[in-house]
Amino acid sequence: MSGATTLADETRPGASQDLIAAGGRIAVVVLIGIALSLVSQSFLTANNLLNVLRQASLTFFMASGLTLVILTAKIDLSVGANVGLSACLAAAAIKATGSPALGVLVAIGTGSLIGLANGLCVQALRIPSFIATYGMLWVLQGFTYYYMGGETIHGFPPGFRALGSGYAFGIPIPVYLMVVFLVIGGFFTRRTTWGQEIYAIGANPEAARLSGIPINRRILLVFILSGGMAGLASLIFLARLNSAEGDIGETLTLPTIAAVLIGGTSLFGGVGTVFGTFIGALILTLILNGLNLLAINANWQPLVTGLMILLAVFIDMKVRARSEVG
Amino acid sequence: MIKAPGLAAALCAVALASAAARADGETVAVFTKNQTNPYFQSVRLGADDAARQLGAKTQHYIPTKPDSIPEQLSQVEDVIVKKPSAIVFTPVDYKALVPGVEKINAAGIPVVNITDRSAGGKFVAFVGADDYSLGKSTGQALLKALNGTGNVVILEGVKGAITNTDRTRGFNDAIKEFPNIKLLASQPGNYQRLQALQVMENLMQSHPKIDGVLAANDAMATGAIEALEAANRKALVIGINGTKEAVDVIKSGKLLATGDYNGFLQGCLGVMTAVRQLRGLPVKAEVMLTPTVIDKSNYQPYDVPVEQRKCPSYEAATKG
Repeated sequence: MSGATTLADETRPGASQDLIAAGGRIAVVVLIGIALSLVSQSFLTANNLLNVLRQASLTFFMASGLTLVILTAKIDLSVGANVGLSACLAAAAIKATGSPALGVLVAIGTGSLIGLANGLCVQALRIPSFIATYGMLWVLQGFTYYYMGGETIHGFPPGFRALGSGYAFGIPIPVYLMVVFLVIGGFFTRRTTWGQEIYAIGANPEAARLSGIPINRRILLVFILSGGMAGLASLIFLARLNSAEGDIGETLTLPTIAAVLIGGTSLFGGVGTVFGTFIGALILTLILNGLNLLAINANWQPLVTGLMILLAVFIDMKVRARSEVG
Repeated sequence: MIKAPGLAAALCAVALASAAARADGETVAVFTKNQTNPYFQSVRLGADDAARQLGAKTQHYIPTKPDSIPEQLSQVEDVIVKKPSAIVFTPVDYKALVPGVEKINAAGIPVVNITDRSAGGKFVAFVGADDYSLGKSTGQALLKALNGTGNVVILEGVKGAITNTDRTRGFNDAIKEFPNIKLLASQPGNYQRLQALQVMENLMQSHPKIDGVLAANDAMATGAIEALEAANRKALVIGINGTKEAVDVIKSGKLLATGDYNGFLQGCLGVMTAVRQLRGLPVKAEVMLTPTVIDKSNYQPYDVPVEQRKCPSYEAATKG
């Protein structure tokens, strides 16, 4: 217990740096927002802002779990494929039984089990996480293709679909879920011993081992959480799209990793926040929103997206450098 | 002959049967682009059914990574070593696979090109549907249903894909025929359901009135429908591919129409052409299937699982 207190004390100066970093990232979002509201009348409306938050939620769910993995200096490349398989199995379960509750269980269960398998490959078999989860990506995708056989499962009960497309008090349900997981994620990483240990493992695994942190169990935990969050994301996906097909996970992995890194989490571990990841997801979503609102020609969209990401990260770095000097 | 098509068909059937008796059990290697798109699943099922009817065998070659050029190239090298009787080929990229086709030509294996026309190499025949007229006629169905007035948006597929270029061109030409139709935006959904949903959500923010949505495939069309429903808005929507899902959604009244790309029939004709060539029967060097617009009035034949569909005779499928 006393060990935990020391750890928390040591990271206290880091917490204020986190505040500066968060300020910088919010500034980037605000700048993009101001720019968009100047060129498009439709941008700064309550409806559109809620629309952006709902779109960002899917990336956020996947990316928040992945943030924990990256904080330990590991990576999980199987998140997209995990969403694909979890969604298809949950879709089949709901279709077969008509029970959304079973679907929720199947999706989060499948996601977490995949995470456990990843964790075991990395910690028990000592396979580097990039390779272990890259292998897992293909295993999952192969299984999904085989299971679906090129078919689509569609049409779910309205109660289940409300999870993705429903509103409560004028705010989309996925946005509530996002806020809940943002708070849980922030509390878990910043205010619990386990969370602090995750940072410590990423920052200096040798020191973490010597200070008695159960590294194997913590790493297993982050992979399970990453998998479980992918399972949750698959539910939002199903509920919003009302349909599942074998290839849904394919295009999700890279943007998810990008959201984590744009949000300021270091691939080398030990540095980053769940809130930063939320901002990362928001920036990516805002770019697509802006492109559509302005009806930018399809030919230019990849180029504009790339430039916007580079610009956002550049501004973020500048703002932080300034705050640290001042 | 013209007066007695039944007799002609019977003669053909006899000829086919005797030919089949002479040369049974050919192996046809079938190359498709991926395991994920239901379209190619129908192609494979069509190919399998044709092979079953003709007493031949199919072997499927599908890149594990969807649409992977290096993987399909290496599969081409593998298949040349295995020497099947014939090959039915969909290039994952119509330019990049030309060297692969040339290797097949050099090995002397007859090859039939289906779906995407290869930019080079020698083929027994090409079987395909014309994406441009598919886009145009499906687009026209939507614009007519809107009585030629209103605001529409286009959801484009993957930039650079030849199917997308042609379908979008077809959409745009259909729109040009109706002066009172206003094209609000043409945005990429990359043939992906999720992206189409998000693009539609965004477009609804800047356009309070959207009457019609022209989507370059069915997955995007259903994604757009989900976005419209969640926002409590109504618009007529069309897609392309004639998937089973699209037929279900047409039945429920949410999708106006889907253009049928006839994947099953293309699979049938690919294998039939290959086997007929091997058995010395006449083949057509070019079969362009006429687009069918599936809507509420004619969906019934498409409302059976693809597994249960049957290939028509070669003559019936290639006439007209």
